Amino acid sequence: MFNTMIIKIAWRNIWRNKIRSLTVVGSIVIGVWALTFMMAFYDGFVTMYISSAVENDLSHIQIHNPEFVDEKEVKYTIDDYTELIKVLSSDNDILSFASRSLNNGMIANSKGSRGCDIRGIVPIDEAKLTRLDKKIVEGNYFDLTKKKNPIVIGKKLADKMKLKVKSKVVLTFQKTDGELISAAFKVIGIYKCTNSIFEEINLFVQQKDLGRLLEDDQMIHEIALLLKDVKQLDTVQAALASKFPQNLVENYKEISPDVNLYESQMGVITYIFIIIIMFALIFGIINAMLMAILERTRELGMLMSIGMNRMKLFLMIVFETVFIGLIAAPLGLLFGHFTVLYFSKVGIDMTEALEKVGLNEILYPTLNVESYFTITVSVVITAILGAFYPAYKAIRLKPVEAINKI
Amino acid sequence: MKNVITVKEVTKVYNPDTIPVHALRGVDLEIGQGEFTALVGPSGSGKTTLLNIIGGLDNATEGSVIINDQDIEKLSDSQIIEFRKQHIGFVFQAYNLIPVLTAKENVEFVMLLQGASQAARDARVKELMNAVGLSEHLDRRPSQLSGGQQQRVAVARALASKPRFVLADEPTANLDSKSTADLLDIMSQLNQEENITFLFSTHDQRVIDRARRVVMLEDGAVISDDTKM
Repeated sequence: MFNTMIIKIAWRNIWRNKIRSLTVVGSIVIGVWALTFMMAFYDGFVTMYISSAVENDLSHIQIHNPEFVDEKEVKYTIDDYTELIKVLSSDNDILSFASRSLNNGMIANSKGSRGCDIRGIVPIDEAKLTRLDKKIVEGNYFDLTKKKNPIVIGKKLADKMKLKVKSKVVLTFQKTDGELISAAFKVIGIYKCTNSIFEEINLFVQQKDLGRLLEDDQMIHEIALLLKDVKQLDTVQAALASKFPQNLVENYKEISPDVNLYESQMGVITYIFIIIIMFALIFGIINAMLMAILERTRELGMLMSIGMNRMKLFLMIVFETVFIGLIAAPLGLLFGHFTVLYFSKVGIDMTEALEKVGLNEILYPTLNVESYFTITVSVVITAILGAFYPAYKAIRLKPVEAINKI
Repeated sequence: MKNVITVKEVTKVYNPDTIPVHALRGVDLEIGQGEFTALVGPSGSGKTTLLNIIGGLDNATEGSVIINDQDIEKLSDSQIIEFRKQHIGFVFQAYNLIPVLTAKENVEFVMLLQGASQAARDARVKELMNAVGLSEHLDRRPSQLSGGQQQRVAVARALASKPRFVLADEPTANLDSKSTADLLDIMSQLNQEENITFLFSTHDQRVIDRARRVVMLEDGAVISDDTKM
């Protein structure tokens, strides 16, 4: 009953000095808005980074001969390949998979040469897995019926080596016995993806062409697969690892530690953002509430004189700041939400900014419901913490001194 | 007549460790039930200090204050707050109403602190606001009332908890003649009809004229104690 009165007084006290209260509300709104957007931006960046890595390169799971992973020598092919393909084809959790022959080599033309990763692919499977066919920006994707030794190269590589569609290049790579082999290829297509570093290094040839040159058309070094639901990652990985223990079955986090780092650190970074913003806000709250208490010293003395105990006085001041937080947080979240909503549709062009880390695409901020909840709770906790010192100062007042304060 | 307040050998020294200021020097005072007493004296004579010590807002350096058979000097901080809530009504010079509450809410505030029911609060507020002549102003906030009206609300608030006595520190200092006369009429009436004990500190001659007992302080000591017949 009395608590209702405390709440009533606290609520009305907020509006005694509207400008001051609205200033605090405004600063919290801006803080929450900035926090919401920063979290959404970072979330969007990590999502973009991971999806770019998974879509272009890693897929969800990769299978290799364990010695290939360590030595990168072409002789270490996947064991029990035929049986593995049967199992993958019948697994309902798998969306698509593709096998690859991999070889490190060199690409050369009349203008120069560069090191490269040669990927011997089955064009149809690769198109299903990485949508490589959709990434062709010049020329065409592989056509199984035509041309000998076609090659698809990245836009970045094409620019650096001044290659065009129909340009001729020579690939040099190693056979299983260590002997070097060179072969001429003709550029039939140029792809562009979201990772410029990938574009510069990786080039695609048909598995059958590579097999013919290596004199082994079953030389498979890598099988990459995408799952229908990434939540099944651990289950599928464990099942494959147990069925084919002689092969190394790894998920994308294990293959690429930086992806794992981004994903695992997302929560930590979020909390760092929250702590920084809330730390700034708490000083604004403390300052405003100390001013409010200074102005009301005599009134607080009177309240204690007529019998209001210190705990209730403390609560009254805490309620005031919590109310300010509860007014400001939804407004900040609302502004933040609409900002995120807008940019999640139009995107933020990060092409130039992220080119050096290999990402050159539009960033779409995203934020889940859980983050909105986290921000709200953080603001309320900050408001309560911000109230503690002013409330402590208030209850330390001596009624006789406070009531005579001019 | 039973004593409501007994002050025994009360001494108050401010800054005892640096430059001691003797505000009260062994004051003895007994206030009986239903008295209407004015503490008078020049500025610095110790009126307000004595009132604060009787009200448990300040501690005596020496001596004791017995209220309701309880030496309030021996009560802890939380006990004295509870004691004030149950037994003492305060009227302050600057009214000190809660500005964000209406007149009605201000009056019932102490009753809420006491945990009184809604019905009891409503009845008491109605009774007191009638008594102070402000039954038409229940929903007005202090800023919508004159100084005299605010002080009348303060008197109603002081009486809301049915205290054993009311301490009023210079209650008319900020009021004009008409408001002072009205306030004194109300307090006098409550004193006579409900036997409520009032103890004022004042140097307002109009209050002194209406008081039935006048205790004069000078330099922290009682120099006269006259009861009018």
